[in-house]
Amino acid sequence: MKFAYFLSCINESMTREVDRSIESLKKDLDIVLFKLEKGACCGGSNLDYVSPEHFLVINGRNIALAEQMNLDLVTSCSTCLLTLRRAKQILDSSPDKRQFVNSFLANEGLSYTGSSDVKHLLWVITEDLGLSRLAEKVTTPLTGIRFAPFYGCHIIRPSQLLGRDNPASPSSLDLVVEALGGSLVEYPSKNKCCGFHTLLVAEKESLAMSGNAIESAIRAEADYIVTPCPLCHTALDAYQPKALEGRRVSRSIPVLHLSQIIGLALGHSREELGIDRHMIT
Amino acid sequence: MEHTFDIVIVGAGGGGLFAALEAIRTDPKVSVAVVSKVYPTRSHTSAAQGGVNAALGNKDRDDTVELHVFDTVKGSDYLADQDAVAYLCSQAPQVVRELENLGAPFSRFPDGSIAQRPFGGTVKDRCCYCADKTGHTILHTLFEQCLRRGVKFFNEYFLLSLEHDGGECQGIIAMNMRTGAIETFSAQIVILATGGHAKMYWNRSSNAAGNTGDGQAAALRAGISLKDMEFIQFHPTGLRKSGLLVTEGARGEGGYLLNRHGERFMARYAPQKMELGPRDVVARSMETEIIKGNGFDSDAGSYIELDLRHLGAEAIKKKLPQIRELSMHFEGIDPIEEPIPVRPTAHYSMGGIDTTMAKTAVRGIYAIGECACVSVHGANRLGGNSLLDILVFGKRAGQEAACEAPQRKALGITPAAVRRAADEIRSYASHERYERYGIIREELGRTMGDNVGIYRTGERLRQGVDAIRQLRRRFRHIRLYDTGTVYNTNLIQILELKNMLDLALCVAVTALERQESRGSHYREDFPLRDDAIWHKHSLCTMGEDGDIQLGNRAITMGMYPLEARSY
Amino acid sequence: MERREVSFRIQRYNPQVDQTPFYDNFKIAVEKGITILRVLNHIKEQLEPRLTFRAFCQAGICGSCAVRVNGISKLACTTQVWDELTGGGDDPILIEPLSNLPVIRDLLVDIDPVIEKLRQNQGWVVPSIPEEKMGFKEHAVSDDEFEVINAATDCILCGSCYSECSMMGVNPRYISPPVLLKTFRMNNDTRDTDGDERLRRVTADHGLWDCTHCYRCVEHCTKNIPIMDGIHRLREEAFERGMTGSEGARHAQAFFDDTRNTGRLREVTLPLRTKGVTGSFGMLPLALKMALKGRTPPLFVHRIAGIERIREIYRKLEK
Repeated sequence: MKFAYFLSCINESMTREVDRSIESLKKDLDIVLFKLEKGACCGGSNLDYVSPEHFLVINGRNIALAEQMNLDLVTSCSTCLLTLRRAKQILDSSPDKRQFVNSFLANEGLSYTGSSDVKHLLWVITEDLGLSRLAEKVTTPLTGIRFAPFYGCHIIRPSQLLGRDNPASPSSLDLVVEALGGSLVEYPSKNKCCGFHTLLVAEKESLAMSGNAIESAIRAEADYIVTPCPLCHTALDAYQPKALEGRRVSRSIPVLHLSQIIGLALGHSREELGIDRHMIT
Repeated sequence: MEHTFDIVIVGAGGGGLFAALEAIRTDPKVSVAVVSKVYPTRSHTSAAQGGVNAALGNKDRDDTVELHVFDTVKGSDYLADQDAVAYLCSQAPQVVRELENLGAPFSRFPDGSIAQRPFGGTVKDRCCYCADKTGHTILHTLFEQCLRRGVKFFNEYFLLSLEHDGGECQGIIAMNMRTGAIETFSAQIVILATGGHAKMYWNRSSNAAGNTGDGQAAALRAGISLKDMEFIQFHPTGLRKSGLLVTEGARGEGGYLLNRHGERFMARYAPQKMELGPRDVVARSMETEIIKGNGFDSDAGSYIELDLRHLGAEAIKKKLPQIRELSMHFEGIDPIEEPIPVRPTAHYSMGGIDTTMAKTAVRGIYAIGECACVSVHGANRLGGNSLLDILVFGKRAGQEAACEAPQRKALGITPAAVRRAADEIRSYASHERYERYGIIREELGRTMGDNVGIYRTGERLRQGVDAIRQLRRRFRHIRLYDTGTVYNTNLIQILELKNMLDLALCVAVTALERQESRGSHYREDFPLRDDAIWHKHSLCTMGEDGDIQLGNRAITMGMYPLEARSY
Repeated sequence: MERREVSFRIQRYNPQVDQTPFYDNFKIAVEKGITILRVLNHIKEQLEPRLTFRAFCQAGICGSCAVRVNGISKLACTTQVWDELTGGGDDPILIEPLSNLPVIRDLLVDIDPVIEKLRQNQGWVVPSIPEEKMGFKEHAVSDDEFEVINAATDCILCGSCYSECSMMGVNPRYISPPVLLKTFRMNNDTRDTDGDERLRRVTADHGLWDCTHCYRCVEHCTKNIPIMDGIHRLREEAFERGMTGSEGARHAQAFFDDTRNTGRLREVTLPLRTKGVTGSFGMLPLALKMALKGRTPPLFVHRIAGIERIREIYRKLEK
């Protein structure tokens, strides 16, 4: 399975362990990822406020780079996923906008046609690889480990644009945990917001959101939170001590990336997967 | 708690809100309160889908106010007062433009003007609309403008009684539903804008649960007469299962009515206007088809099909989105794929509080919109004229009230009246009571549908009158099970049922009395219009004993003499 | 007709007698095709006359009957019981009042806070035509102009988005999705003249820039209104109108600038650029701890391969 791989800014900086852990899995999962070195920051649902045209051209170009390789574009950041798919929906439904974007891409030999899909790594695991094949590859089942799956927002909502999980009761990440032999806890926060996107403008409120999620996972007696999104990871891990300030909880809870729990089940070491880089270990 | 305002408006639908807005615009110094049993945006104006008539001439350049008057008078089967109709239609273009100026979103023609579409019973296309959410958008626009002007709202207050000293308005007594407290609103002017009473037909009604005629019943009990109560409009196209309405706009856009032979049967009843005949004619034609066995059979009763498929997916999605949604939610049918099962449903009360240009016989008490009878709709209302009615007379009432209020002084409400209201409410919780709300209400709905429905006979009406009298007696034993004071909806249901029972008796008694067929009132035993005897308004008042006494009033004629009514 | 026994677990609370909310269970036989509202009516009339909820039009247009069904805010009148069955139909259907609004009794909440926020944020058209000239002339509005606000005028103020909103859950002072939608609807009405003032109000603290774009409002809007598109448009409008002084606007500007400069977000200085020097002071302890774990973003970001192409696009767009 070959894909173009979108490099997310956060995975290039704060959560470098995501791409590192994916690197160590590629062979096991028989996935080939071609890094989109020329891809630019998606704008994190911020670029279009300053200029909707920049947002369209930059992301049209990002997808066109994958089209040039005849590959679908995969990302492991949910906000990149949503941002790219938003651009894709606009471009796929408007010939005028496609033409506008392409007028900027021509001298690079690029053209947006809509031929490449934009997917999240989680979808590649559940759909392209398949859960049964994933399960077959497990060498160190996560038996007895209780996970609180935290989906975050931009991989399930708006469903009209994403269309895999039912946002009221998402299940894809749960199924991955089960395929890896882990067990699940029921808790109310799996489809809630981590607050990441307002951390810098409304910190107190954002921390209340992440704190609610962390606290409910702890109360449900989970051993780990697992998330498919590095932004959620940052809000839940790096900000965890701050988010738990003043809350009556007995402990902290480590937060793992999707790629890391797969890595663990496939027998990779914590160090290899960069788990020791987390703030809560 | 005691409140004092210059003007108190009861009801926060389009009529009440426009009256409030206009009163403040006319004289910013008058104090205005709107007292409503629901949050303003919940009011039933929101359910008016189709549109509002005004001879703007944006579509048919040769449309005129006179033609609008003619259509309305003819539609009323010559029972409307022509001076009131002339006022209604002459104000229509201005009031619609004004609403547009205030921000109401209307659908547009390519030249940017307000779009107009055909509607039942009219010779010109003059119905202005916003997709099929016209009432909703008008209601929200008026509410927004009232917020802008700082109108004072008392939301979720239930009207208990209307108070006057025999000739002059004193105010109202209402219950704060959140606290259960009985509060008085002393005012020089009270404008009743409480909406219609067709919910007395319950499941055979398109109306909201709260369309129980609270203002009409309060007026009746306060000695004010009600007019033309026998006239209840049955809308042709209610959804088979719920009675919920499919707008006339669906036929305006070109929908067909089909019987089970696939026949557009309206060709036999109204060959000229076909599906766009006036509502009473179309409703009766459908009922006749069903009685003759030409309807489709189902567990939920026989029905007729409203077929929109030939309009195409694009037009249905753009022009009738709510109808599509409603059909999918409540019938599980997508009108793009399948015809909608429909049958007539009680929809609008032409009758109501007797007014002359919005004023009742008591100085300072006004009534507007569906709770009132001006009368502009006569024996049958035209589609698109109800929104117009609330706007034109809401505006007029607001203006007049603002001028009149400063000239009169507040009389205050007597402690005895407050005691009476409190005693009544206390009495419902008595343990000696045993009748259940749901049973009486169910029987009322059935009686109204079976005995006072589309087709009426003297015998069935007599049975109906007896049954309603019996239900009123049983109501004296009705039991209030919820004795809490915080938002007691059980109590509200009982108070609403009392209102419906009083008004139902008025409807049945006047229907029995009127021995002719006119507009929505169709007597199988008197199938013809009888102008010699019955070209007059009926009046009801409530006697000391609580029974209904009847009277009459002459009709004000005008430009248009009596004529046979055919389409 | 398909029929089955269904359990309903309904939140109850009467402030006059109950210390805290509790749940009541009702098991009733339900036919397929029945809505949640019909179940509530049935329970009230046949089993528990004290059960308290609002309902009015019963046709999905008045917005009275919004409640949470199995945790999600919906209109009781348009929600089919059959669509809410889980666990093979054996699990009870949970019915609770809307979130983020004070409960008055049982399923009935106080929606005054929504109306109050509409009032504070001028949720009305301020028309260009003076009062005395009203009623004589229509504004010309093209169908395309109407289409921009068409969906937003569907809002019935049912409160579902208010109940679902993530930010509302942690900050009662937050402006809220329906008020932002109304602001969008007014500011994009070609007849309105007060867009600047309205936008000035909604960009204040607890306003427009505090939306986390979690998309819960859109996902659960009972009228399927694309509320986030309206919020996006308002944020664009803040830039168009030069209201770029807020932290949210500076944050967005940083993304724009970084993409031009390196093609990557320069996260290390993002707090500084968003919150200013004093504003980001409080973040230092966390930054130091992250540095110890090697999680600090690099001081100097690598430019992406071929950054010249991006700059070219920027140059061309600026023309």
